[in-house]
Amino acid sequence: MYLGSNFQSFFCMCWRPVFLLIKMGCIGQRCDKAPINTVNSFVPFSRKLLEECCDPGQLFAMTKMNSPMGKNLWFDGEFLYSVTIDNATYSLFPQATPFQLPLKKCSVVGNGGILKKSGCGKQIDQADFVMRCNLPPLSSEYSKDVGSKTQLVTANPSIIQKRFQNLLWSRKAFVDSVKVYNHSYIYMPAFSMKTGTGPSLRVYYTLADFGAKQEVLFANPNFLRDISKFWKSKGIHAKRLSTGLFLVSAALGLCEEVTIYGFWPFSVDLHGKFISHHYYDNVLPDSGFHAMPEEFLQLWFLHKSGVLRMQLEPCEDPPLIQPSA
Amino acid sequence: MGYTDPSSSRDLLGNRTLFFIFICAFAVVTLLQQILYGRNYLKRYFEFYEGPLEYNSTKCLELRQDIIEVKVLSMVKQTELFDRWKSLQMCKWEMNVTEANLSTLSRCCNAPSFLFTTQKNTPLGTKLKYEVDTSGIFHINQEIFKMFPKDMPYHRSQFKRCAVVGNGGILKNSRCGREIDSADFVFRCNLYRVTTDAPQRFHKLEKWRKPFYDVLQVYENASVLLPAFYNTRNTDVSIRVKYVLDDFESQQAVYYFHPQYLINVSRYWLGQGVRAKRVSTGLILVTAALELCEEVHLFGFWAFPMNPSGIFITHHYYDNVKPRPGFHAMPSEIFNFLHMHSKGILRVHTGTCS
Repeated sequence: MYLGSNFQSFFCMCWRPVFLLIKMGCIGQRCDKAPINTVNSFVPFSRKLLEECCDPGQLFAMTKMNSPMGKNLWFDGEFLYSVTIDNATYSLFPQATPFQLPLKKCSVVGNGGILKKSGCGKQIDQADFVMRCNLPPLSSEYSKDVGSKTQLVTANPSIIQKRFQNLLWSRKAFVDSVKVYNHSYIYMPAFSMKTGTGPSLRVYYTLADFGAKQEVLFANPNFLRDISKFWKSKGIHAKRLSTGLFLVSAALGLCEEVTIYGFWPFSVDLHGKFISHHYYDNVLPDSGFHAMPEEFLQLWFLHKSGVLRMQLEPCEDPPLIQPSA
Repeated sequence: MGYTDPSSSRDLLGNRTLFFIFICAFAVVTLLQQILYGRNYLKRYFEFYEGPLEYNSTKCLELRQDIIEVKVLSMVKQTELFDRWKSLQMCKWEMNVTEANLSTLSRCCNAPSFLFTTQKNTPLGTKLKYEVDTSGIFHINQEIFKMFPKDMPYHRSQFKRCAVVGNGGILKNSRCGREIDSADFVFRCNLYRVTTDAPQRFHKLEKWRKPFYDVLQVYENASVLLPAFYNTRNTDVSIRVKYVLDDFESQQAVYYFHPQYLINVSRYWLGQGVRAKRVSTGLILVTAALELCEEVHLFGFWAFPMNPSGIFITHHYYDNVKPRPGFHAMPSEIFNFLHMHSKGILRVHTGTCS
């Protein structure tokens, strides 16, 4: 479920050609100045397709409108498992998707190591709506590279389980750790996996108990399933899509202009320099769960066709070493 | 003409007659009961009540002896016991220091060092045995160890006057609030109820926690005493209580009963004739109070459906939910308290306070 994948083995074997291809493309045409204004017949088509299949504006999160009480909810990450929305759960949902749609300018920030020393923080923060994946650290040492603004941050139940003992014991650590996200929505796939429901609801209870500024949105399993189907038809074969791709897909439906940062699942950057897996650590994920390079390829196609803009180069030139006076 | 009703002569044992006989029999039995058991009511009626009698007067000695000589609860009728108890209310109560010191209690349980689990009596790595699930063992790790207080916060006879407040319906309209509050240290038992109810009412503290925290706030700076190591089911909830209070930065301390103390207490009271699956929390607190305080006053300990005057009362002062039968032996516990009252070890308040 992490952003990131078994890219190392793949990279060495079969993804090298892809990588080289992209690199060639980049050399021919500056990557960071993506052809966003190019009039391309593919642009409206793709977005329309996404809207037709999944309707992110309505179905993005669980709301009182799209999930009435008593509705049977089929989990998208389980085989034939469903829950019925009862009174207690229903009361946790907002009335409708709580954003002013459509959003203007969105930044979707992945956690790739390519963000390190990119200096993209300012550019990310300039967007109206910043989405981040999996509760990334936003401490001051990173803010120059990843920004500090957040409107929506996803959190996987597995992270809650690992880092906060499922919120069954002390909860203060969790509340303190999400304080960096200020007034943001925490987007949790509560109804994807059987084991995720408890922790996700507990996140809601915890934040409500502490009167925290953050609000919890629950991902709609129907939406996630539709997105998965959509990408499957485009040729992504993985057990499960990464959070990043879900978020990018949602952003394409919610925003007018999407820029994505930190989506780079390879262990070397465009200049052949080795980079860490995440911008904050180098913990590699379990292999065989996500198909990151395949997803990246799809995103690359979208970038090429101008549906979104992908930032791979540093936003500002790294500060030159000043000759000592 | 002139036929008589053929059934008139055969109605001798008919419905109406039988009914009448039953009523008569019932009346006779009731009358006999009144005569046999009700004489004390009459006696008291004729007696001239002249203020509380001195503790050492012969009358009081007699009255106390009346209660002490009832060795087992089933020896006398409940109403008879109530009568004797009511008569005793005429006497002033005094602490009998020698009797209190003679009581074997201080040797049994050692509350001043074993009431709670502390870092001193439960060192790191201890394999703590549960009280009920005897096969269950809880391994004290660093995390849990840190929650324990360094040492017992109380020592023997630290407090002059203590009040232990049960939840009996007898407290209702008793106006004892001020007298309870005037004690140096007040024990209450209903927090325990909150935690045993926690699985239902607070979802084991796995969901919302603020409501539970708000409930605790009523008790201001009271320490919360939990039976974490009573059985395996209680442990997690009890530990969570500590986390909840820490998370909300509450000043309230959380203590856990030492399972060995609980075992000792039940063993002691078993010797005193309290046969129950488990002694009640009230009894445990009274036992602890007897060791920690010089003078112990009990309020709201009355487990009978009517008060000593025979008026029906609710089970608790706040509701009338009856407990699970056969779990606690409440009447037997109360009976023990009455005995101790008569001996001058503690004082049981059952009437109204001034």
